[in-house]
Amino acid sequence: MPFSTYLDSMRDDCKELVAQLSKSFEYVSILGTDVHAEAYRADRKMSSAQDGEGECGFVIKMHNGDSFYEYSCDDIKGDKKALAEKIVNSTKTDPELYERRVKTAPVSDTPMKKDFVRETDFDKYSDEYLLSLCKNVSKKLLEKDEKVLNAMVVIQPYTVSKLFITKNRELSQHYGWANGGKMVIYNDGKMAQARDFDGAGSLAEIIAKLDKNLDKLIDLAKHLTKAQPIKPGVYDVITDSSITGLIAHEAFGHGVEMDQFVKDRAMAKHCVGQYVASPITNMHDGAAATVSVASYFFDDDGVLAHDTQIIKDGILVAGLSDLASATQLGTEPTGNGRRDNYRRKAYSRMTNTFFSKGTDKLEDMIASVKHGYMLFETNNGMEDPKNWQIQCTAEYGIEIVDGKLTENYVSPVVMSGSVPELLKSISMISDEFEVHGSGYCGKGYKEWVRVSDGGPNLKARCKLG
Amino acid sequence: MKNLNKLLDEYEGMSGYRIVEKHVLSYELFFVHRSLETVRDTDTTATDVTVYVDHDGVMGDSTFHVYRSMTEDDIKNKIKTAASRALLVSNQPYELPDGGKLEEKLPTDLDKYEPKTLGRMIADAVYDADNVPGGSINALEIFIYREEKHVVNSRGVDKKQTVNRVMIEAIPTFTDRDESVELYEDHRFTKFDREKITAEISEKMKEVSDRYRAEKPGKELNVNVVLRPHEIASLCGELSYDCNYQAIYMHANLHKDGDDLQPGDCDKINLTMKGVIEGSENSAYFDGDGAKLTDTVIIKDGVVCGSHGSYRFGQYLGVKEPSGALGCIELGAGTLTDEEIGKEPYIDVVSMSGIQVDLYNDYIGGEIRLAYYYDGEKTTPVTGVSMSAKLSDVLSSLRLSKKTDVCRNYKGPVKLLMKGVSVL
Repeated sequence: MPFSTYLDSMRDDCKELVAQLSKSFEYVSILGTDVHAEAYRADRKMSSAQDGEGECGFVIKMHNGDSFYEYSCDDIKGDKKALAEKIVNSTKTDPELYERRVKTAPVSDTPMKKDFVRETDFDKYSDEYLLSLCKNVSKKLLEKDEKVLNAMVVIQPYTVSKLFITKNRELSQHYGWANGGKMVIYNDGKMAQARDFDGAGSLAEIIAKLDKNLDKLIDLAKHLTKAQPIKPGVYDVITDSSITGLIAHEAFGHGVEMDQFVKDRAMAKHCVGQYVASPITNMHDGAAATVSVASYFFDDDGVLAHDTQIIKDGILVAGLSDLASATQLGTEPTGNGRRDNYRRKAYSRMTNTFFSKGTDKLEDMIASVKHGYMLFETNNGMEDPKNWQIQCTAEYGIEIVDGKLTENYVSPVVMSGSVPELLKSISMISDEFEVHGSGYCGKGYKEWVRVSDGGPNLKARCKLG
Repeated sequence: MKNLNKLLDEYEGMSGYRIVEKHVLSYELFFVHRSLETVRDTDTTATDVTVYVDHDGVMGDSTFHVYRSMTEDDIKNKIKTAASRALLVSNQPYELPDGGKLEEKLPTDLDKYEPKTLGRMIADAVYDADNVPGGSINALEIFIYREEKHVVNSRGVDKKQTVNRVMIEAIPTFTDRDESVELYEDHRFTKFDREKITAEISEKMKEVSDRYRAEKPGKELNVNVVLRPHEIASLCGELSYDCNYQAIYMHANLHKDGDDLQPGDCDKINLTMKGVIEGSENSAYFDGDGAKLTDTVIIKDGVVCGSHGSYRFGQYLGVKEPSGALGCIELGAGTLTDEEIGKEPYIDVVSMSGIQVDLYNDYIGGEIRLAYYYDGEKTTPVTGVSMSAKLSDVLSSLRLSKKTDVCRNYKGPVKLLMKGVSVL
């Protein structure tokens, strides 16, 4: 599937509108989005094949050395002079707020013209094939064990086309990502759900994984029906890569989003250059840091993708910024300006966030634990960048006794406490590495964007409840 | 939409359709401290079309998006693709809601004001509370929405409703020397009440200064815990999902009609799903299918007694008159007074990272960002602790306050007392 023909046809319209608005503003950018998604799903009783989340529209950003102004709309065809007048009028404020505008440096508009493409294989697979696959895998899961009440299987490819135009810049990007997975609801006296979801740059990879590990998934569900609540306490823990990613995300992902620096909402602003984690710890974020769900070529401010090292050998070295926050802080934006969709504001957001791998063997890490838990699978988390508290919920944990994993499962497991205490307690890091590209991240309780996170296994000490 | 109707009516390969169009106008202000950082204005429409095809004794459906940029040929192609996809889908048949024209506006006074003026008035109301020594509002986001939802289907439904609502996100902060703490708060309303906004933010300014002074208790506690509306609403949301037609149809529900959730001595839960709760932005006169909404009691005196949900899943379960997808929850008032709460030591939870309610694992818990701990003699702010309890024990012993309020989609007691909770 090529770059959006619609957006391609709108290049001149964008340039014309930029020219009109440039009569009123020093900096004008237009981001056009055309995102298509499909969702195939099957379970015991139902199936569906339809459009998934999508969007098609424009957001115009303007700046004159004070506040930023934005206007979101579905189309910009027609009389550009009239549209420009409408936009200028719409973004005016009550006169009493006029004097309260921020004062900032001008926005730089470095010339660049480039078209970025990462090909997908989505066109190779028909609706019929993908839906049949979901139905077949669901059927197989249901037939494996009568205690499987339901088995849901999904495949969700999506393709992104974005066009970014300023007076000096003309960028386009086209790429795709696919998610897929399965979930069973199991009843063995007690009900439990077990999931196995993943993401990949091609449908071939998702398809290859979809009907693998079916027995393992049912076995997990069986164990979860026997899971007990954990006795609250402080334990040695080993994390799987998804929990490692959740810690990275909640602890120092949100904590270094630099729009929070501007608002004095992040303690990290005062800790750059200081030890915030164990000296064996390294952490990155960036659309260019790895290939996963958040690997775009330029962000929603037209800034090229970066690979930002956030923590280097335990020391906090850098944060993540969008255009507005970098302009106010007097720094270079890091390519982390992201929008939920064209209707929403761009904020500083994470992309692909992960701890770097270490040198330890996972089996040695488990063997080093006298009594503790290995934690698996992200459920949810919540950030607190100002006060450096953290809450991460794992789907389940397995008790470790005398250096060995037992058959004792606990669920759910809520890990909480102080971010620096947790990160400074990291004593071993495995030589394995996996990034999970099937997540979403909100800012507070809104502004959802697709993110990945992950890394190696970590050994740390923290409070579980 | 007219043209879309025509194209759908003209297409012969389908048995029905539904169009859901949502037109949103918004005006948004973003403040950094007291300075205006960003001004946004939006005028956007989202249109979803679902095509239904009866085939081989079953029913298929498929939904697609329509964008303003699309040509007539683009839309024709989308219809054709959706009809083909629907043929691949073999679901149990059901009838779309029929007939009924409606055009309503949810109660509001927000439309009396120009959005620019209203934005400034809201900002003034928030910053009026910024008068606590050491306190500040480090960020404020104001979203003023006018949302018009229009549902049309092939069986004559043609319903339109307008919701005017405001969401504000204010970040009260307290700083002393080099140390600083904050609380995250959002407020939602459909009527402008300047004094109420200022009073709510003032309360948060006081609480954030208490968070600065808050300490972790010296020992693990087993104590009564009081939850506030935000967390009570989450608990009610989990209980209501368990009684949803779709959860029942998908075998994902845990409880069934007649199950007693509260066998102990406690204030009994009376939970009703509602279409409209005055003051709630989630209020609606019809659901996404354009179906009429019927308020439905799902838990009475602690016993599961009903279910709720969309026309589709209601019909799948054989419900004669499905409730429609109800967006609001009302929990009946209890008997608890503040005097009773104070008879024993308790922790009054002001702010959590996010309450975790897990019916399958019989669990309720989460990290507490700020609470007040009354030890029987004095009250001190506490932080850095987590609570966890067995959900069934909590339900069987809980107490609910007499006093009620509205919070998002919830109306009900402002306090819920859980007995003997582990706090570490």
